[in-house]
Amino acid sequence: MNSLETILRQLRRAAARARAASYAVHGLVAAGAWIAAVLVIARLVPFERRAEVAAIGVPVAAALVVLAWSLRRPSAPLLMALADIRLGLKERLSTAWERRAEAGPMDGALRQDALRHAAGASLVRAFPVRVNRGEASLVAVLTIFALGLAVLPNPMDRVLAQRQADRASQARAAKVVTDAQKKVAASDKPNPQVEKILQDTQAKIREAASPRKALESITPAEQQLQRLTDPGTPALNSSAQNLANALSGTAAGRGAAQAISSSPAKGAQAVRDLASQLQTLSPKDREELAKALAKASQQAQNAPMRDSLSKAASSLQSGDTSAAAQSLNDVASQLDSLQAQQNTDQAVASAINGLEAARQELAAQADRDAKGQAANGTAGASASASASASASGNGNGNGTGNGTGNGTGNGNGNGNGNGNGNGTGTGGGSTGGTGGTGSQGSGTGSGSGASSTERVYVPGQPVPGQSENDPTPLGPGQDVPLSPFSQVIQAYQQAALDATDQSLIPGSERDLVRQYFSQLGEQTQGAR
Amino acid sequence: MIAEEPRIDATKVTELAQALEAELARLIVGQKELVRDTVIALIAGGHVLLEGVPGLGKTVLVRSLGQVLSMSFARVQFTPDLMPADIVGTNVIGETDGRREFRYQAGPLFANLVLADEINRATPKTQSALLEAMQERTVTVGTQTRSLPSPFFVLATQNPIELEGTYPLPEAQLDRFFFKILVPFPSEHDLLEIARRTTGESTPQLEPVADGGAVLAAQRIAREVPIAEHVLAYAARVIAATHPDRSELDSVRRYVRWGASPRGMQTLVLAGKVRALLEGRYNVAFDDLNAVARPALRHRIFLQFEAEADGITTDRLISELLEHTVKEPARD
Repeated sequence: MNSLETILRQLRRAAARARAASYAVHGLVAAGAWIAAVLVIARLVPFERRAEVAAIGVPVAAALVVLAWSLRRPSAPLLMALADIRLGLKERLSTAWERRAEAGPMDGALRQDALRHAAGASLVRAFPVRVNRGEASLVAVLTIFALGLAVLPNPMDRVLAQRQADRASQARAAKVVTDAQKKVAASDKPNPQVEKILQDTQAKIREAASPRKALESITPAEQQLQRLTDPGTPALNSSAQNLANALSGTAAGRGAAQAISSSPAKGAQAVRDLASQLQTLSPKDREELAKALAKASQQAQNAPMRDSLSKAASSLQSGDTSAAAQSLNDVASQLDSLQAQQNTDQAVASAINGLEAARQELAAQADRDAKGQAANGTAGASASASASASASGNGNGNGTGNGTGNGTGNGNGNGNGNGNGNGTGTGGGSTGGTGGTGSQGSGTGSGSGASSTERVYVPGQPVPGQSENDPTPLGPGQDVPLSPFSQVIQAYQQAALDATDQSLIPGSERDLVRQYFSQLGEQTQGAR
Repeated sequence: MIAEEPRIDATKVTELAQALEAELARLIVGQKELVRDTVIALIAGGHVLLEGVPGLGKTVLVRSLGQVLSMSFARVQFTPDLMPADIVGTNVIGETDGRREFRYQAGPLFANLVLADEINRATPKTQSALLEAMQERTVTVGTQTRSLPSPFFVLATQNPIELEGTYPLPEAQLDRFFFKILVPFPSEHDLLEIARRTTGESTPQLEPVADGGAVLAAQRIAREVPIAEHVLAYAARVIAATHPDRSELDSVRRYVRWGASPRGMQTLVLAGKVRALLEGRYNVAFDDLNAVARPALRHRIFLQFEAEADGITTDRLISELLEHTVKEPARD
């Protein structure tokens, strides 16, 4: 005959099995509810990594269930009492268990009686493995619901894809800027200011909420870089070239001329050498050199250089070699300054090139985003929408850039959309010292809810293939040829932007043109 | 392990009960529940109030019980002019050796088994004379308190009809009764058997099957029956549920004026113990408590007038609260 402990062990095992089944169903309900909730939320708001978050619910639910299962184990008295009730043992087991250590007059008989009756009962039946029908149904419903949510297209997928593309684009743009920064740092004369600007810009691009926001950080950076350049550098450079040309015709200054042509730094050293050799020059050479300096002075566009050259020429002509040497040393200092400025300009140009490449990357992505938003702006199953974006840019040299985007649709309903396009332009300066910059472009997007049969026509341009001299035959009630408004406004916009691209119009001005067409599109939208 | 006490032969109680029931069944037809409850009260050492219309065998049952038990039996017919001294005894003047002195003349209460027939016909004063006897098992006359013989049982009867000229038992008096047993009208089959047995040439003559010592031993054994804590807690929940201010049952809150006393709890548990023994068990089960709940509590639950107006009985309320009282122990 089993002892009470043996009976308890059997009851524990049976109860553990029954509770495991019950808790497993609890866990399935919890996991199913979690997954369904995550999938529902993922349909309402953009939810990245929703699969991982939903999947996490399964092990978490399992862990919680196991934890609850292990923590909420029924006590021995409870097991005995439940077994009594469920097996009809008339509280024999629970009383015997409670008095298992007692030695009262009836305790022995009580235990024997309890064991005898327990032996005749199937203890496992006290805790049958049963699954709550309601819970099982709930699990099935949740599973079907979750599967449906997982299989059906999620409207937020497009938003997420756009976000990922935005981030990738921003990362690429930031890397381009970082590469430019490394390039500047690796040059012979690294410029900490340029490096700092590039570093800040790439951080802003990386942290920006969208490519559009990232684009906003590029123009200020370019402006900062532009401020590092000296507007007088071309004049100084021209003066230096004139000096080289003038000196090349003299015996004493030929070497210095070659050096100046080679680089301002070498030229500065050669001019200093020439200054130190003035006293050893023959009068003829001095005369020749003074004339060359005077000529260079006359041609110099840079005032300090002109003054120094003029003083050197006059001093040399008057025989004051020491004053002439001093003036030539001033000229050498200005050549050194020119060299330093050229270095800065090169760094700035390199940085701006990097920023422009980043701008192109970001603008292209922003343009794609604008197209997507315009498409999302449609309302109704067959609403029409259109979006267009264009951009252009220019620089100090020659710069071109453009971007276009459009979307069309037909149907019934109403819709709104916005789009932005960005364009960049790059170019090289005539001296190769500075690069061109392109201004940030902008685009427009519009959504329209016009009926598929309702189109707006305006007196417009000739139909392609026809010239203005060969107008379209007029229909009944028509007095002018009609073209769809959307085609006309797009054509106008494109023509205007192409025109601005081909001329030296600052980016900000081109933005005005673009903004004008954007507003025009919005007004048209509103009018409809 | 604690050394076990000398084992009590609980089967003696069962045998005693079976012997009593079998002997009574020779004369009492049917009424098994009535007999079982009476035997339970006897072994538990409690007094019984039998209620039923005339002619159902209440008096016969008690008289038969006196016959099957070798104990002194006294019958008191309660009437409105019955005085307390008539039942507890009184001091009378007697002459001993030429000297007159007061001598106590014991009343009919000085018997092991007392039948208080139609107890509600006596005045409250006389009814109250039973209070001390039933609870303390003593009688005080003048300044002297005397113990009643042991065992001492009062089996009272009362008629639920013919209420004119009766004095309903006060609550305190009712609470002294261990059980209030309703004597049901016999079935048609039992009626036939009653007719056969009692209208013939001779009626069965009952034989004594136990004496006072056996009953006292059975009482001691019954009190040794263990009861699990959660079963005891169930009994407490049942008692608490009879109180309108503690019950969750709307019917109890609406119809009950006052619930069962702690003495009701004692009765429930003790009667449960006896019933467990009579069922051949050594522990009290929920079923034991449920089985004795009605006779143990029906006279301890006092209803509002509204209950009478709506035809609500205490038995119905007890059934309801037994149905709704949770048996399973709380999860710890």
